[in-house]
Amino acid sequence: MGDVKLSFVVHKPQYKGETSRLAITHAIAYQTVEILLDDGDTVTPTLCFIGEGVLGFDKDQKAMDLYGITSTEAHLKNCLLVDLNVMMCKEDMEKYGISEDVLPDADEMGADMKVQVVPYAEIEKTMEEAQHVLFF
Amino acid sequence: MKLAVFVSDLTLTNDILSRLKKDNLGIILVQNGVYHATNKVDGKTSALLDQAPKIYALSEDIQIRGMKDSDVDSRVKVVDYGGLVDVIFNEFDKLAWF
Amino acid sequence: MGTLTIGCFPGLVGSMAYDFSLKLAEAAVDKGHKVNIWFSGNATGSVKANQKHLKDYSTGEKYIKTLLEKGVEICTCEACTVARGVKKDEGIEGVQWNAMHWYLAKIHGSDRVLQIGGE
Repeated sequence: MGDVKLSFVVHKPQYKGETSRLAITHAIAYQTVEILLDDGDTVTPTLCFIGEGVLGFDKDQKAMDLYGITSTEAHLKNCLLVDLNVMMCKEDMEKYGISEDVLPDADEMGADMKVQVVPYAEIEKTMEEAQHVLFF
Repeated sequence: MKLAVFVSDLTLTNDILSRLKKDNLGIILVQNGVYHATNKVDGKTSALLDQAPKIYALSEDIQIRGMKDSDVDSRVKVVDYGGLVDVIFNEFDKLAWF
Repeated sequence: MGTLTIGCFPGLVGSMAYDFSLKLAEAAVDKGHKVNIWFSGNATGSVKANQKHLKDYSTGEKYIKTLLEKGVEICTCEACTVARGVKKDEGIEGVQWNAMHWYLAKIHGSDRVLQIGGE
């Protein structure tokens, strides 16, 4: 069956419900899925944040210090570290006054990937190209 | 992309649905989403009913609320769970839950 | 016939979306389709055995057992489940326990996927 492309679309903000965080951890799980698949089969997710889903990704989060939980920032860095394609909707970031500068990177961890801020049309394209879309 | 969007609420808290291309879009009204098909708000039918060429509502979720399948807007096709399975497999290739 | 995989995240008690997931699964398997269900988030609380069915609340255990008998594969996210205080030996027999890659692997072989988020 080969590679199956998935589009994870997160439209709920982080730090209220669990669903938006579970989207991230489920996407990261792509790196170990091959142990359950036949040789040559792979899953390639793209993690897309749209609408209010773009909220909650600023640098310097204090989730562990204040609530004892892993921050969204740390989860996002892990995404970059495992070469996951992460896209933030440009129009929605502008709508909520979020600057690209506040987004974390994982350079210090040796990640090559960066969060991509892209027009909604680009996210729409990933949804069209994916075999399945998963809304969170 | 033949995408079916499940709408489970009457009040939509975001504009994501309106961004999706309408050409091959389907809307499946379930749970409180069925009110889009059965009730007018301030005398107007739901704008959602104009957002997709194919709209379905789940019979069980209409009837559990004391309404009848015949109460739905003429643009909406009523299906039961078995019919919904057929819609999922035969009419669309991707599914989204709102 | 096709394969449907349902990602079910809402809790058994407090959301009819859980009931929807199971009823859709049953309708699909009754029509001859292969069905997989992945429980994550609050839905994982529903895999604990010996649930008391009070009529004001949805029933999970009885329905899960019926689906298992009909050949539906059901798996719960182990991390989500133990985080809710449910131990593996307290779980409903036949429900699988695994990590998130189980869900992705099932999706890989599916014709249709319905991801039902929680809250």
